[in-house]
Amino acid sequence: MLTGMGITWWHMMKIRKNNVTLQYPEERWPRPERNIGFDFSEYNIIRSRLQVDIDDCIGCMKCERACPVQCIKIQTVKSGARGEDLQDISHTGLTSNGTKKALIVLRFDIDLSECCYCNLCTYPCPEDCIYMTGGPNSNKHPIDYEFSQYDRNELIFKFAKEVEEEKMAKYLPKKEKVEA
Amino acid sequence: MGVVHGDLMTLNIGPQHPSTHGVLRLRVKTDGEIISEVEPVIGYLHRCFEKHCENVTYEQVIPYTDRCDYIAAMNNNFGYAVAVEELMDLHVPDRVEHIRVIVSELNRLASHLLALGTFGLDVGAFTPFLYMFRDRERILDLFEVLCGARLLYNYIWVGGLSHDFPKGFEEKIIDFLDYFEPQLDEYNGILTYNKIFIERTADVGVLPAEVAISYGVTGPNLRGSGVKWDLRKDDTYSIYEQFDFNIPVGTGTVGTVGDCWDRYYVRMLEMTESIKIIRQAVKALPSGDVHQALPKKIRPPKGSVYKRTESPRGDLGYYIESDGSPVPYRLKMRSPAFTALSVMGEIASGWMMSDVLAILGSLDIVLGEIDR
Repeated sequence: MLTGMGITWWHMMKIRKNNVTLQYPEERWPRPERNIGFDFSEYNIIRSRLQVDIDDCIGCMKCERACPVQCIKIQTVKSGARGEDLQDISHTGLTSNGTKKALIVLRFDIDLSECCYCNLCTYPCPEDCIYMTGGPNSNKHPIDYEFSQYDRNELIFKFAKEVEEEKMAKYLPKKEKVEA
Repeated sequence: MGVVHGDLMTLNIGPQHPSTHGVLRLRVKTDGEIISEVEPVIGYLHRCFEKHCENVTYEQVIPYTDRCDYIAAMNNNFGYAVAVEELMDLHVPDRVEHIRVIVSELNRLASHLLALGTFGLDVGAFTPFLYMFRDRERILDLFEVLCGARLLYNYIWVGGLSHDFPKGFEEKIIDFLDYFEPQLDEYNGILTYNKIFIERTADVGVLPAEVAISYGVTGPNLRGSGVKWDLRKDDTYSIYEQFDFNIPVGTGTVGTVGDCWDRYYVRMLEMTESIKIIRQAVKALPSGDVHQALPKKIRPPKGSVYKRTESPRGDLGYYIESDGSPVPYRLKMRSPAFTALSVMGEIASGWMMSDVLAILGSLDIVLGEIDR
């Protein structure tokens, strides 16, 4: 029993030096940014939150299929002109990798309250446009893990561009007229 | 005058009780302070793991195996990956095998630290819990560097790994082990040979070897009863046959063979063995590409496989029935914690109320795995 007390006493003596507790809201762990803390050959892996660069998205839906919990919802429509910029709905034709886009992404919602942070959606993406912040595009978005909300609906992140309906109407497939 | 027998009182422990290690309910029939019957009631954490696996592809099962035994998710990934690879007759590169062994042994350390720390907490030792969690935190930090997640890794994939080791990661592991090895002596001083701890655990909840075998108890609980049975040696998988390590068994140092203290001490000795394995594996780590053997699409041929591996809690088995599609036809998981809990009613009766929680803590159960 004295041994145990000795060990506890020894730890109490050096409590200032070996303190591991962090007073969280005031101090926090350094966020593992690029090449800080450790270096990885390409980028640091961290699973903080999902981020999508919608200008790079070609609407291939690979991430939607890879998701085990179906928290990604994508809707697309054919753009007609492949790889052309459509100014009126601010749709860019080329991704940053130079791929010509054939689809307009109407809806790209990620419900982060359902997300299980397994990272499976980021691997199949051909354009590296969906990633956990801190991934290959960590210079575009800071690592962010403090995104709690008061309302569950605010955790549904909508990445698709919001476009007015009249402008969008000419790209949508024409509705068939119902004969009276 | 004979012995007075009062009526039995039924008492519920849990499901929301800090000592039941999750959402477990114990229906306890007590005669005064003596326990006459313990019946575990489970199912509060049931998530339809097996049925759900029939609806997702083989890759997508891996995040769900994480959530079964969330204390040792690497080992669960490992068991599943090994099972599917055997079904597909897939051979993985040597580097992958070494990394898998390293991470799963590190995870075994983390899991045992949690088990021993909370066991100490259950019998009233608060300080060792903090020390052990401090060191477990360092392992979790290593995993965070490795794959970005601290608890649910999704790291070991069928046919490979999600990422290679980052640069300088081997040195980080060795640094940690150098720091960690002296800590074991500290734990021994503060908890293992503590008089109060021995009084609370020695001779308590003795699990005889025959009972353990007949209930199918595996892992450290079985070895605590003096049975030398470890799948890493006896039904070897991956590359465990290349490493030199011992299988510690309970010897009844301070009490009877198979008491709570033996189950505790076997885990303590196993950590030393895990350190040995990690040091050997890091030393022998070959170079290579960890993504080389990853299949483009996982479509195992028709057939079934049952593969068991040694998780920190014991014999973790996966039975997979494949019909040739990318979705498993049936997946059954044999959970070691389930059998460990089922022996509870057998060994806990006759003890005092406070011993029940000591026995429960020494069995080291994880409810995520029991309820699946």
